[in-house]
Amino acid sequence: MTLHERYVVGCATVAVAALVTISPTRAQVPTQPQEAALNAEAAQNDWPTYHGTYKSYHYSGLDQINTGNVKNLEVAWMHFPERATRGIQSTPLALDGVLYYSGSYSRVYALDGATGKTIWAYAPELDEDLVSKQTHSPYNRGIAIGHGNLYVGTVDGRLIALDLKTGKPVWDTKLLDSKKMTVGFTGAPLVVKDKVIIGAQGGEWPHRGPIFGVEGKTGAKKWEFFTVAGTEEAMKTWGGDSWRTGGGGGWMPGTYDPETNTVWWGTANPAPLYDWGGADWKKSGPRPGENLYTTSVIALDPDSGKLKFYHQELPHDAWDFDSSVGEFVMIDRGGKKLVVHANKSGYIFVYDRSNAKIENVWPLVKNINFVKSIDPKTGELIGRRDLSEGKVDPPLCPAIAGGISWNSGAYSPKNGLFYRIGQEWCMELTVEKTTPILEPMAQLNIGATFKFIPPPDGPARGHLSARDPVTGAKKWEVNYKEPPLASVLATAGNLVFVPDAEGIVHAYNADTGEELWSRNNGMGHNAGIISYMAGGKQYIAVPAGWGSLVADEFVALYGEPFKSMPKNTGALVVFALRQ
Amino acid sequence: MRIPSVIIASLALIWPCLSIAAFAQQSTGAGAENPLPQAEASPNDIDGEKMFATTCGFCHQDGGRHAGRGPKLSKSERSDEYIVERIKKGKPGAMPAYGGVFSDGQIIAILAYIRGLDD
Ligand code: HEC
Repeated sequence: MTLHERYVVGCATVAVAALVTISPTRAQVPTQPQEAALNAEAAQNDWPTYHGTYKSYHYSGLDQINTGNVKNLEVAWMHFPERATRGIQSTPLALDGVLYYSGSYSRVYALDGATGKTIWAYAPELDEDLVSKQTHSPYNRGIAIGHGNLYVGTVDGRLIALDLKTGKPVWDTKLLDSKKMTVGFTGAPLVVKDKVIIGAQGGEWPHRGPIFGVEGKTGAKKWEFFTVAGTEEAMKTWGGDSWRTGGGGGWMPGTYDPETNTVWWGTANPAPLYDWGGADWKKSGPRPGENLYTTSVIALDPDSGKLKFYHQELPHDAWDFDSSVGEFVMIDRGGKKLVVHANKSGYIFVYDRSNAKIENVWPLVKNINFVKSIDPKTGELIGRRDLSEGKVDPPLCPAIAGGISWNSGAYSPKNGLFYRIGQEWCMELTVEKTTPILEPMAQLNIGATFKFIPPPDGPARGHLSARDPVTGAKKWEVNYKEPPLASVLATAGNLVFVPDAEGIVHAYNADTGEELWSRNNGMGHNAGIISYMAGGKQYIAVPAGWGSLVADEFVALYGEPFKSMPKNTGALVVFALRQ
Repeated sequence: MRIPSVIIASLALIWPCLSIAAFAQQSTGAGAENPLPQAEASPNDIDGEKMFATTCGFCHQDGGRHAGRGPKLSKSERSDEYIVERIKKGKPGAMPAYGGVFSDGQIIAILAYIRGLDD
């Protein structure tokens, strides 16, 4: 037996079959979020979908916990998942007093929302040999609920439906050939009517990043949309054969606009990340042309999977600033129906919801030099810096981790403010010509070596700002030594919660930014944060647990506490007011 | 297949003196008496620097000269065996295993690239 084989066998013995415990007391649990709750602005008693509601505000309408009493917030209960490799990166859901969340290896837990008592737990058997060869693995970033099921994707390319009441598998559909593509699913699915929709991983991975529409009841695949060259028009924007290895995964969940029956989804960057075509990128380099529909927001018909319209945020993205990050915040303002979307580059795009026409573009972060600016009327990139082989001078801003990371911001309909975390850092970069590696399985296609450095205006750092989502006008800002990498929660109690990188959860006054409460969870946050009601009482739930690929950068950038911070553990921490 | 560390060490030593093409030639031509493995690769695949920039540079910054997601690799005091083992086996939750992905010849080319790095 070679060492490699021994290792694989060792891992296989760790694989655990589903373990199921059923509590007979919970027979009355509704198994489906109400449509009205999904379409509302605020999540009320439940947190029924990844972004809170389809409006994607990450906003709770609960106000038992508020600016007056938040100082009395304390830990109600905790839950520790098994095998939290790369921490916990998921956003929990809550339905009728039950909290559901996923951990690494797509393990799923259903817990009594008031006590934390386990109702059921599920652990799929994964292809452990494949997992050991994966880079963006084995974390899972979230789940969806609908049709009496709970849905979770796996890194080995499957979408699994579990019975919401019992946690027993209902169906298990293989959607991707992950052994060949190397990547699978880490992002949360989205339930839309009779379908469950999920996007594959992969920007720097040479494939075509499909998004799938699957029938909730049966698990049958109904449609597949290729984000790379998925239409005739798009095929023309990839020189030669480059569409075959284009990247472009839709690895974070988008949302749904019921008024127009449209699914909004963001797509990843093309591969290789860094293109040596320089100013001649339309004709030369590894992927000549605009590379549709990478680094784009796309609008799909959920029934057919057909493209309705799109906007490519960065045509021919040569910097790895993809559009798959972030939520689609649906705002009605001055008779206009708008949607606000954060791009990894640090720019925020505001669109007309009926056609993805640009209404405004504004920068959230200061250190941006991959373009001079973006035209706020047309979205056109002005003064773009297309890179050639060799050292890039001056260094590129922001760094590869982006001006904005993949976790979500929040919007309060109460005061009209949008809360988003921005990152200030740059990197030295040397572009190198590479050839995609496809055999025997796909490998990262980066096309450069790089090194993080502080931006010209100060240390590498992060900030939370409260702004008008349409104009970008800033009301207040809080600065952090290290960028927080978790999602943000706004509540009707006039609070904004920020779980930070060092492990502290902060609660701020939503109008002023004044810090009103904080608590140390003991390890960095890399996940979502939600609020829900159980037994008439409001809870705040936040997974602690460190270890995303961006988090990995913090050791070299900041040293302690990250040098000593474990990346293979985590806990779900749930807070409530002291009795 | 295990690679005798003597061979790795000697390859690493002579690496800086060899052009990429010469290295590829030597490893493919090594034939029966030399246990150097399936380097059926094109010169492209066996270019350690290029492979590093394609895949490894995502985590080992500045071409392996600087700590990032993964540690600095230049001037490593680790043995050749250790480095080859790490590349093959990876580390769960930290680094992917490349043993089933790259041929031994490719891994040796990457090792030679790492050994040739200045700070
Ligand atoms: C996803 C990020 C990632 C990628 C991609 C990656 N590595 Fe690593 N590498 C790491 C981390 C993290 C460690 C430290 C592991 C540990 O804790 O011992 C490491 C350790 C190593 C070590 C051992 C260093 C030492 O002194 O212990 C070597 C050698 C190495 N990597 C080489 C490579 C090569 C060659 C490639 C490409 C084929 C590669 N790595 C790709 C993250 C990565």
